[in-house]
Amino acid sequence: MADSSTRESAAAHDLELAALAASGGRSAFGELIRRHNSAVRALLRRMGADGATADDVAQDAFLAAFEQITDFRGEGTFQAWVKRIAARLYVKRWRRDARGQALAEADERTLPPVAAGPDDRIDLDEALRRLSQAERLCISLCYGAGLSHAEAAEALNAPLGTVKSHVKRGLDKLRTRLAPELPAGDAEEHG
Amino acid sequence: MAERNFEFELTRLFGEAPAMPDSEVFTYEVGERLRRGWGWRRLVIGGMGLVGGVIAGLQLLGGGVLERLDMVSTQGGRVVTGAILDAAAYNIAALPMTSDVIWLAAALAAAAIVFAITRVVREF
Repeated sequence: MADSSTRESAAAHDLELAALAASGGRSAFGELIRRHNSAVRALLRRMGADGATADDVAQDAFLAAFEQITDFRGEGTFQAWVKRIAARLYVKRWRRDARGQALAEADERTLPPVAAGPDDRIDLDEALRRLSQAERLCISLCYGAGLSHAEAAEALNAPLGTVKSHVKRGLDKLRTRLAPELPAGDAEEHG
Repeated sequence: MAERNFEFELTRLFGEAPAMPDSEVFTYEVGERLRRGWGWRRLVIGGMGLVGGVIAGLQLLGGGVLERLDMVSTQGGRVVTGAILDAAAYNIAALPMTSDVIWLAAALAAAAIVFAITRVVREF
């Protein structure tokens, strides 16, 4: 019985599983966790969280998602929805741990950008490590969690202009690493 | 255009996440936290319900509601018995119907309705 239920869950679409979870189906929600935990945890690591913190925040994010599952109406993907929850939770924790440190004052230490050679594999994780923490957060929020600049600014409690400039600087550095053949340009409004 | 392409590419790279080797362990751990959370919630709700039930019971007993209910019940029983006796006088029913039997039947009917509602709620 449990096996057939598991098989049905494995074959179901995320939306169906979310609907089952909304009616209290914990096994359906378990399948959603199984499907998307890697993506959520990877995003948190890319935002700068260490492994343990990323897993901790990801767990909290999935628990919060279960609590708010009736808010998920399938306008986007379930994964994108949980990623936004997780990203906001991580930012909250980061701000708390930084004891109110403003984004503009965040650690600006950064490794020098290294242009990728023709034989280099494109490695987003390595490229992100070369950004400052503030740039990394802003880029991850906008391109990893799908937040607009304004939403990222609100989550970070930072001025919109500050977030935009971190995104622009981060994009320039990433381009150097990931796509050196592309000309540098002004970052367009995201979202 | 190149800028926009790079942004699309960046979003795509963010979407490509490596599969975590401990994905099953993570799923289990979150499931356990969910289960524990719901266990505590049930316990708290159950405890609050018990306390509320005890308070309501004490209020009922203290307010003399049972005595009034008994009085109403006796009066109702007399009315029903009278009606049955009238009906029996017309030979409609020869069953040994007393007010106790009527109240028992009413209680069983109420229990059956509650059971049916519970079943319907579980089905839908």
